[in-house]
Amino acid sequence: MPVVKVLTDGIGELNLCDIGVYRSRGGYEQWKHAVTAMRPADVVELVSKSGLRGRGGAGFPTGRKWSFLPNNGRPRYMVCNCDEAEPGTFKDRMLLEETPHQVLEGILIGSYAIGSRHAFMYIRGEFKRGYEIFMQAVAGARAAGFIGEKLFGTGYSLEVTVHRGAGAYICGEETALLNSLEGKRGEPRLKPPFPAIKGLYGEPTVVNNVETLATLPHLLKNGAEWFSSVGPPKSPGFKIVSVSGHVKRAGNFEVPLGTTLRELLELAGGPRDGRKIVAIQPGGGSSACLFEEHLDLAYDFETMAANGTMLGSGAVVFFDDTTDFVKAAHALVRFYAHESCGQCTPCREGGYWLEVTLERLLHGGGLDSDIEMLVKVAHQMTGINLCPLGDSIEPFLASVVKRFEPQFRAYVKPSVAVSA
Amino acid sequence: MNGTTGTRDFAPVLAQVKPEAERLIAQYPDSRSALLPILHAFQNVEGWVSPEAMTAAGAMLGLPVSVVESTASFYTLFFRRPVGKYVLQVCRNLSCQLNGAEKIMTHIRERLNIGHLETTHDGLFSYEEVECLAACDRAPCMQVNLDFVYDLTRENVDALLREIMAGTYETPPLRQTAKPAANWHVEQDWAQKSPGAREVSSPNDPGGMGDVSGLRMIERLADGPVVLSGRPTEERLIVEGAARLKHTGSANEH
Ligand SMILES: Cc1cc2nc3c(=O)[nH]c(=O)nc-3n(C[C@H](O)[C@H](O)[C@H](O)COP(=O)(O)O)c2cc1C
Ligand code: FES
Repeated sequence: MPVVKVLTDGIGELNLCDIGVYRSRGGYEQWKHAVTAMRPADVVELVSKSGLRGRGGAGFPTGRKWSFLPNNGRPRYMVCNCDEAEPGTFKDRMLLEETPHQVLEGILIGSYAIGSRHAFMYIRGEFKRGYEIFMQAVAGARAAGFIGEKLFGTGYSLEVTVHRGAGAYICGEETALLNSLEGKRGEPRLKPPFPAIKGLYGEPTVVNNVETLATLPHLLKNGAEWFSSVGPPKSPGFKIVSVSGHVKRAGNFEVPLGTTLRELLELAGGPRDGRKIVAIQPGGGSSACLFEEHLDLAYDFETMAANGTMLGSGAVVFFDDTTDFVKAAHALVRFYAHESCGQCTPCREGGYWLEVTLERLLHGGGLDSDIEMLVKVAHQMTGINLCPLGDSIEPFLASVVKRFEPQFRAYVKPSVAVSA
Repeated sequence: MNGTTGTRDFAPVLAQVKPEAERLIAQYPDSRSALLPILHAFQNVEGWVSPEAMTAAGAMLGLPVSVVESTASFYTLFFRRPVGKYVLQVCRNLSCQLNGAEKIMTHIRERLNIGHLETTHDGLFSYEEVECLAACDRAPCMQVNLDFVYDLTRENVDALLREIMAGTYETPPLRQTAKPAANWHVEQDWAQKSPGAREVSSPNDPGGMGDVSGLRMIERLADGPVVLSGRPTEERLIVEGAARLKHTGSANEH
């Protein structure tokens, strides 16, 4: 089995929330090394060379993202995105609760690399325990002299502020997150300008995912090649994959990118007894479904994209032959309808109509024409919103309507169909 | 009535939150960033975000209450009406659904005799069906006052409800400074989030007039000339445009 232990090393065995335990395993040494022996540009170059791509959903090359910051002498901000709320994703919460110092060390290194003197950790409101754990980690690191003024006797100072959200999926979108961090409604901003140019308080800002940042200490320790030599050339490195749904042992599995979906299924204990997997949603609620014939595909950014879907946040949901895909579609559509911030009409109204239509179908009041309409409306609301939330309904809905159309038709009562 | 606070004395609450709020404000380059943390602090003390709390938060940050309220209303974890001492938030998203969440939700609804976003008469339980809690590996799951409870079954749910009723459950109750009503809806929510969603005609009739404000405007225009003074609002331009059209006969003859 291709499991590896990089970010997940020690989880479940050691109390990594204890700064002493974390340090006894080399924790914060890379932080000290970065500040005392590297220039920020060296860190950026190392990360660029490693080929690390963002783990938050879009898979954007991290080193490149950092290089967009203008050299205008303005304050710069590093923001760690721990708003994890993409359906099926539960890796960041594990990192936050089980190994907070590793996440913090990553935030510190990332901040240094981009020349930030103030970093923010945005934690989803529901993660109350994670927030408390992280607050303690920050206090411990501060007491040990890893956060604050003139670190390790150099001229570099860094502050860290931990911020808790209050329930809103959309705040995971980076510009909505920045608004929320500024004490506003979590509504996404029009882009451009991108956060790299005008982010938090209008200043150059980088928003990175928890897993992306937690990888940095390991990159510094082991070098770019250690990372880039693993997995396919365009999707190098390791990735924590959250596997759930109809499997025997759901969980987070850290694997080299390029591991096949079948191997992931096996890691998760395989399908339930006597059942067979008929569909796979490979990249969170916003991704299109793959099916049993795709089980041998490699799980990486390129292969997923080439097959009409995406790796997204690294959340793989398996569906077996007992699945009611009308109900599954309803759960996801209702989610996006509920989480629409309401700024853009297509997303706000489209999501609502689709939810109502699916509800009606489920309750026996659906029309035959509803099934075409579902796909049409989902398509029409795509690509015309401020942020990608409104585009997130179509991929799953369209893919399962196409594949499992009889399930949708079966909900239409004949009498209703005739009177329509 | 929804969450009457009566004439209770808010001063002790304020005294408790104030030092915390000052510490929070000092953490940010811009004080407004402390708004969500301050509202959390008030909710910790009161169990909900009361109108007094919003007024106080606004005063601390130099923000109009309307801005505080508009911001608070965006976030589902801020209760702007009192809720029960134990808020049960059950995940209804995909992985939990695939693992039997529906059965659990029905069970809790029946046991407590309340539905989504409702509170029991005795003010002990509130119930909400929420989105993915990032615990899909332990589905179905819920949060009780934001503490995770995993691998739900009818049996362990029953045990948990019994413990809460007996006062022996390990998670402490929320504070309750006002008696909760049957639900914690705030009426204007709908209008704020989606005007069109309220009176949407039919999902099968995409041309239908869903938005009440649009209807109102058409009615007003149909009622005859409206005298509008001041700035050239969009409405005025439409009205004047219509008058001009009438004057010149029709647009086509132009
Ligand atoms: C609707 C929506 C929700 C998102 N939620 C998250 C999230 O919970 N966590 C996250 O890291 N990124 C999320 N993202 C992606 C962020 O906008 C951003 O791309 C990411 O945090 C960048 O980090 P990375 O470059 O390290 O991947 C979301 C994007 C959208 C459009
Ligand atoms: S679907 Fe319920 S926790 Fe993710």
